[in-house]
Amino acid sequence: MTMVEYFSFLPYGKYAFYVWLAYGVSAITVITLFVSAKRNHKKAIISLKNKYSRK
Amino acid sequence: MWKWIQRQSSPKIFYQTCTSLTPWFFWPFIGFLLVGLYWALIVSPADYQQGDGYRIIFIHVPSAILSMMVYAIMAIAGGIGLIWQIKMAEVVAKVSAPIGAAFTIIALVSGAVWGKPMWGAWWVWDARLTSELILLFLYLAYISLNNAFDNPRTAAKASSILAIVGLVNLPIIHYSVKWWNTLHQGYSVGTGGLKDPDMQIALALMFVASIFLYALLVAIKAKTEVLIREQNSRWVQDEVSGAAL
Repeated sequence: MTMVEYFSFLPYGKYAFYVWLAYGVSAITVITLFVSAKRNHKKAIISLKNKYSRK
Repeated sequence: MWKWIQRQSSPKIFYQTCTSLTPWFFWPFIGFLLVGLYWALIVSPADYQQGDGYRIIFIHVPSAILSMMVYAIMAIAGGIGLIWQIKMAEVVAKVSAPIGAAFTIIALVSGAVWGKPMWGAWWVWDARLTSELILLFLYLAYISLNNAFDNPRTAAKASSILAIVGLVNLPIIHYSVKWWNTLHQGYSVGTGGLKDPDMQIALALMFVASIFLYALLVAIKAKTEVLIREQNSRWVQDEVSGAAL
């Protein structure tokens, strides 16, 4: 059984595997971008806080 | 006008503007995304040739347009930084690069996943695909060149020149489907493209959502970059010590 057949129970039948793969990869990329941007900002604030408190 | 620009481009004001704009980018992004997805996945009918497989278009086309738009913004902001020495333009250019690269990757991956059922191949060395791949390499070259210098001003100068030279690739990507006989289908936007009004609405909604996403990510990333660049100034110390975590 191929992946295409396996995922054909989802909406869009024989194209389900491809459509949801494309949407899934995009969603993961966008979420990663957003979370890493937020996390980097927090990290920068923490490291600057530490730097100032050492003075 | 000039005074206003100068005021806006002072790091402190720029930082505050980014902070206040963030919710104005975030919520429209979520709104347009949800309505866009609803229109793309439920309202829009299946295509007469490609069935439901065509639905990849709603992420493929917006991300491909954004990959080129972000590159243009990056090169123009870099140029503004070079000519008028506006530091905040350099910041916008620098933080745009990874976002643009991500849009390029989404365009390439969604295109490959779309190509498999329609063409029978994940990848072909077609003019459109190859020029878009070169765009990804340009982004990666820009990012690594920018990281190669310790001084952020020198880094901005060198990488901006690279970005401006790389602009020549944008018309090549855009016209590649016209200039060469390609496997890639023609324009989806404009004459001869999508004809169903629901499909057009879905594509427009997803495109607007992508623009808000880009603006949102620039606002967040630019703030981080400004904090690091201006870490020796008084206002950053105040900002950081007052920041709640």
